[in-house]
Amino acid sequence: MKEHAFRFGRARHLVGVAGLPTTSTTPSDNVGVIVLNAGLVHRIGPFRMNVELTRRLNAVGYPTLRFDLSTLGDSGASAESQSRPQQICADVGDAMTLLHEQAGCRRFVLVGLCSGAENAHTVACTEARMAGAIFLDGYAYRTLGFMLRHYLPRLFNPGSWRSFLTRHARTDVEPEDSPDFRHEYPHRSAIRADLSGMLDRGLKLSFIYSGGVSRYFNHRRQFRECFGRVATHPSVSLSVLEDVDHTYTLDRDRGRLFDIIEAWLLRNFPVIDTSTSA
Amino acid sequence: MIALQEEALPCHFGRDNELFGLYHAAAGVATKAVLLCPPLGQDLIRSHRVYRQLAETLAADGIASLRFDYYGSGDSAGRSVDVDWVRCVADIAAAAKELRSRSGCASVTAFGARLGGNLAIAAAAAAHFAELIIWDPILDGAAHVARLDALQAALRVDPMRFDTPRSAEDAAGQWLGFAVSPRLRQQLMQQSLQSPVVRVRVLDSLPATEAHDWDRLVTAGATVTTLNPSTMWDELDRLEHAILSPTLIRTVTEHVGEARR
Repeated sequence: MKEHAFRFGRARHLVGVAGLPTTSTTPSDNVGVIVLNAGLVHRIGPFRMNVELTRRLNAVGYPTLRFDLSTLGDSGASAESQSRPQQICADVGDAMTLLHEQAGCRRFVLVGLCSGAENAHTVACTEARMAGAIFLDGYAYRTLGFMLRHYLPRLFNPGSWRSFLTRHARTDVEPEDSPDFRHEYPHRSAIRADLSGMLDRGLKLSFIYSGGVSRYFNHRRQFRECFGRVATHPSVSLSVLEDVDHTYTLDRDRGRLFDIIEAWLLRNFPVIDTSTSA
Repeated sequence: MIALQEEALPCHFGRDNELFGLYHAAAGVATKAVLLCPPLGQDLIRSHRVYRQLAETLAADGIASLRFDYYGSGDSAGRSVDVDWVRCVADIAAAAKELRSRSGCASVTAFGARLGGNLAIAAAAAAHFAELIIWDPILDGAAHVARLDALQAALRVDPMRFDTPRSAEDAAGQWLGFAVSPRLRQQLMQQSLQSPVVRVRVLDSLPATEAHDWDRLVTAGATVTTLNPSTMWDELDRLEHAILSPTLIRTVTEHVGEARR
């Protein structure tokens, strides 16, 4: 294992761990992989998933960085007057610069789960050094097909009613005046336009949905219903893991996820053996 | 004059640089140092923020500290399944040595939450701690293992997590998101709260429904402070919720500060 811990960034406010390949290989395009925070969990990821993923990618030849965005995990604030999206773009820019300095990477793939997927999307809209993104439970929208698949079978299933009542009873304990921190997704057309722009710029995009978001995504077909022609673009790939939860709690599920990510990277950014080159 | 607080410094240390740590230098000259021993498993992730806040508060009060991850946990080397009790105890001793080297303080207090508290007691002699502050340590290892088994069994059929219950095979050999070796399981089964070799302060925020059997520690000279509100460590609904406790931070900082004077 070749990992190095850094405090870095324009205000030395970010903390991250860079992992270098343990093989004599270089990814095509000198691609490096940067893994973003999932929600408020620090850079190791839910159940240490980001550590396991980055080390596995190091073993097949990809330089990686897992780090905390401003104010999350061990990172501080930059003391700049910026919106959160501006901070995120600047933080990821700093992370790219660090991985370039440490491993010579020139282009980058971002990996993000949940809010991390939204942040990866935000950065991918404008960052010129992006080569691709892997969105785990990223944007999706309920469609007519979703509604039919979701509600019709449940109407006649006693187990679903039991499950519904259990959930209802458990979410009912929230006091009425508790603050609501939910945020609204941008309109579907805006996300679709963003994705088209990314594809026009040559980005490779992987969308992976878990069963943990079945309240808004429940079938492969829904991806096409949401994003139209974007869904069939040759640079887009889609995986659906129906039986898996949102944060990949089970070891076996994380293994399946890593298999998908590794195969996608090797397909789109193959590693080149440099051990025999002059 | 107000001393400027230095930013926490991430580092690797220990045998083959396998351990990850964050050193929080004191504002001004450090007169005392605290080693922050993390708990294991999901408790480590849930308490990450409170450990950071505690370290920053201590630093502002002139007390250096080191946060670190055991081998097989956090950012340290090793797989989750490699976490081993004996190695954790050795890692604490290595971290105490690192903290003394960085801070220049010979006297080191250890703080640990949950199993981090038990580990701090186990390492007290080897790490030459001056004092221990342990937050909701595990009283009975076998009962703790049984509780983790029950939570894992409930997790795989939790409708809030899985639309379709997962098989026992899928969930086997793990506790709440982390692979666990049979060896660690056996090691935890054998744990009971040892009589410490140094002064101990127990911070008790366990819910009223839990056992609060500190008698053996009190007999050995420990003091017990009750913290409110209670901390919900073992509830499946809160598995991915951060543990936050301003009361804990205030209590520890005041205690270490007083002991320093």
